[in-house]
Amino acid sequence: MPMVRRDRLHHLPERFPVFCQWEITCRCNLHCVMCYTDCFNRPDFIREELTTHDILRIMNEMADAGTLELCLTGGEPMIRPDFFHIYEHAIRRGFLVTVFTNGTLISEAAADRFAALRPHRIEISLHGLTRETFERITQGPGSHHRCLDGIRLLLDRQIPLTLKCTAMTLNQHEILAIKRYVTSLGMVGYKLGEDLRHELDGGAGPFQYALSNQTLVVLNRQDDDLWEESCHQDQTEPPPCRSGMQRFHIDAYGMLQLCSGNRHQGYDLRQGSFEEGFYQHLPSFACRRKTSAMKSLLHPTMNHA
Amino acid sequence: MGDLLFSCSMNAAAIYAKHPDYVQRDVAGECILVPIRRSLAEANSIYVLNETGAAFWNRLDGRQRLQDITTAFCIEYDVTTEQLHQDFETLLADLLSIHAIEEVAVADGPTG
Repeated sequence: MPMVRRDRLHHLPERFPVFCQWEITCRCNLHCVMCYTDCFNRPDFIREELTTHDILRIMNEMADAGTLELCLTGGEPMIRPDFFHIYEHAIRRGFLVTVFTNGTLISEAAADRFAALRPHRIEISLHGLTRETFERITQGPGSHHRCLDGIRLLLDRQIPLTLKCTAMTLNQHEILAIKRYVTSLGMVGYKLGEDLRHELDGGAGPFQYALSNQTLVVLNRQDDDLWEESCHQDQTEPPPCRSGMQRFHIDAYGMLQLCSGNRHQGYDLRQGSFEEGFYQHLPSFACRRKTSAMKSLLHPTMNHA
Repeated sequence: MGDLLFSCSMNAAAIYAKHPDYVQRDVAGECILVPIRRSLAEANSIYVLNETGAAFWNRLDGRQRLQDITTAFCIEYDVTTEQLHQDFETLLADLLSIHAIEEVAVADGPTG
């Protein structure tokens, strides 16, 4: 057949820059208690973030290199005054764009712009169903109402949407209610995260909200899907790390890294080209889950869903 | 070559142009069409063209008639006209069905 419709690419080289997660800012209008980037949500750090010009130049280099999937995250990516300039440039260059957002900055006008040039998906963090829980986590008065408004505006425009939350001590009593709410919305994806991580400055603040394994088991047992997922995770070895093979991460300052969770080494994209960074430098970056013994077991996979 | 090589569904004098709502990407040697104004149903879809499809797509420039494109293909590639027309008909129908191309004109005068 001269043309086929697909939801993924086959026969990709083992090393090819297919998927980029790009933290375009650490700035955010909220201050979620477990956030690992909020420590850099300060004017002195924000001044050091990539300019519009830098972002578009790097994005063009990624497009030329064949990158297909682009996830714009933060911080809150939509808080950048140039967000739609960046987003629309990405769409017009043919990236499949996913946006991670807290949803509170999605106005009618913003939703219309998403509808005009549609994203691959938008993922909104919904850490609580009640205002009290939601805003205890986000520390943003009025954020609950604005987030629900943002969700409604996207649903009205049939924009592919996933709602996700992180299970913590502060919202454990609402996790199942959030999942039921998401199910009631129809064609909306749902993700539950259980992992908290160190703040970018090394702080361990987020871990004070972590649930014990025992609590997580009790929680997951109350829902068939969650239980099945947790049993699957318990029974299978974590896959070998493939970061840097077909996936990579760029931080708010233009450092090309293996992944969001491994920023020990980086290549400065303000100083060099994307091609050089991906092919000459990224392979030498260390990852404790990526060993030479694992290399022969690696098989390329990509899933747009 | 003349019109008779095309079936009734293809007009040899027709001229097609790419629709601006599709972006062509080259990813690891594959020619991909990415719709930028996609519907929810096709949110996860991309369209992959094989070598013939990509070459055909690249010639849809809003100026050349189908007949001209076919003639150029037969000169450039070692392919039978029957196979070429079969591929082109399929591809043209597919591209039209997803609104990746639009007919811009039908050339006047002789076609072959």
